[in-house]
Amino acid sequence: MAKANPGRKILVVDDESESAILRAIRRRVEKEGWETAIIEPESGYSLGEEFEAATIYSIEQELPDAVLLDVRFGEHRDDQFRGLSILSEIVERWPKLPILMFTQYSQGQERETAVRGSLQWDSSVDFIDKLASPDEVILRLRRLIGTSPESIPIGNQILVDVGTRQVFVGSGANQAVALEIQGMKFEIFRELAASWYRSPGELVAFSRLERYSDGEDPRASLRVRIREIKDAIGNALNTRFGPTELILNVRDQGYRLVPPKP
Amino acid sequence: MSNVLTSVKIGGGAMVLAGVVLLILAPLIGEKVFSFLWALEPFTYIGGALIIAGLGAAVAAYAAAEQRFQSIQTVNGRHNGNSWSETTLQYFQLFDHDLGRPLRRIAGKERELRAVLQAAPGEADAGVVDLLDEIERQTPNFRLMMSNIQVLIQLESPNSEETLQPVEPTEIVRRIADLYTAVAVEAGKEITWWSEPAEMGLVYANSNAIEHIVTNLVDNAVRYAGTHVEVKLSNNPSHFFVRVWDDGPGIGAQYVQHLFDRGWTPEVVRREEKSSSGLGLFIARSLARQLGGDLTVETDDQADGDHHTAFLLSLPSNLASQPYGVR
Repeated sequence: MAKANPGRKILVVDDESESAILRAIRRRVEKEGWETAIIEPESGYSLGEEFEAATIYSIEQELPDAVLLDVRFGEHRDDQFRGLSILSEIVERWPKLPILMFTQYSQGQERETAVRGSLQWDSSVDFIDKLASPDEVILRLRRLIGTSPESIPIGNQILVDVGTRQVFVGSGANQAVALEIQGMKFEIFRELAASWYRSPGELVAFSRLERYSDGEDPRASLRVRIREIKDAIGNALNTRFGPTELILNVRDQGYRLVPPKP
Repeated sequence: MSNVLTSVKIGGGAMVLAGVVLLILAPLIGEKVFSFLWALEPFTYIGGALIIAGLGAAVAAYAAAEQRFQSIQTVNGRHNGNSWSETTLQYFQLFDHDLGRPLRRIAGKERELRAVLQAAPGEADAGVVDLLDEIERQTPNFRLMMSNIQVLIQLESPNSEETLQPVEPTEIVRRIADLYTAVAVEAGKEITWWSEPAEMGLVYANSNAIEHIVTNLVDNAVRYAGTHVEVKLSNNPSHFFVRVWDDGPGIGAQYVQHLFDRGWTPEVVRREEKSSSGLGLFIARSLARQLGGDLTVETDDQADGDHHTAFLLSLPSNLASQPYGVR
């Protein structure tokens, strides 16, 4: 069974890469199935300039899928916004490389400076607060990297394998393919899972899902298919999902995935 | 100019004082001028005249100074209220940075401890996990509180500028929903958000301001919701709208007019400890109006009805005024 996003590599550039905040984020990145590469602050890396050179060298050597970049490197006046000059250099040399700026001022002066400077509105650059939870960092990185994952784990018991177009239910030796979820039902579930993977609270509007339904009343047809998906997964897990579980209808606007509680 | 006005004010005050002294001393230092009319000493007249002239000069100088102050505060056609200098903002940013460091350490240690507990499942005391959850839950509160103060300083600075950039409102709402989803789940609540149309595209706006307004609205909604919060983004040809709805108990009609007052929270009425600074909605509406939009509320507090509160933010898309128009 495929792992989520195998082989992704995130380069972490921060003078406090061993701080508790960064360690928690690295653990979460690794839990996601991604690898982290760290620019280690060795004795010679006391200056922002040396971090800058090391970062460029590492991108050339490691070819990361994204960079998590701090703004402030140490207390020296020249290095207060060193991350922004590193950002400019990366954007100039690798304009498509996703960069998540990890800063205390995610809405403030640094963002303004960067936006007014070299960044275009469609640059693959985002800013996140240093107090953001590791889950929030992962959601931002997922969207920045952009490509759909090969498989989407939903909690510990459900996995959508996009490559083989199958849904696996259960864990360990009890894991099995939910054979009933195929064709349009798979597409509906994949659409819901992909939306949840990008942003857990996002609803998928009927207009987007009704293309996977047919008949004179597409909404009724969609309702039946949703019920069948819930039953198929529920049967495999020896449970029955109620109206507010697994797939939720919100105000007749659309559906949203709600992972089963562990 | 201000020195002249200050001198006039001081001079006027001195004249009034001298007039009062003359009035008191008049019976001792002068003779009556007329025996039949206003049987008063001559210095009484002089003292009275000094008081009137002094008061007139002081009042005129005060009024001129006030008018000058108001004209300085009105920048680009809008009134900025009390002034905060750029220096204040710089000091605040240093303070924010210095305060942020210990807070990052606390949050970092909390996450480390959580990882240790997760590595040894079953051994963790439920009370310890609750404490860790509480620290994590308070982190977005702190982020918002610091951000509110920073925005308030900028909002009230005479030098503040509006910067319009291409912005994707959908991405902003997504970020905020992501931030608060974990907080809501911890509290047994849910956030659902959507955009209609699904691909709204770009508008020209101040992204920081939108993010700040919507964050305040979602923060409030999560705080007061029963179980559900909904955030809906929509548009028309000239504006875009963010509607933040929650199924909380609603707000009494008598309090709605105070909702956007600076410092007002529902706890003020109940004489309870405030759960927030009460600045959020004040700042949110001020920002919305500064950007040419508005923030309104619709609420129902009927216990047996569909009680809810919905805030509607409307902002101009500014598509027609930009060189690239609609992309």
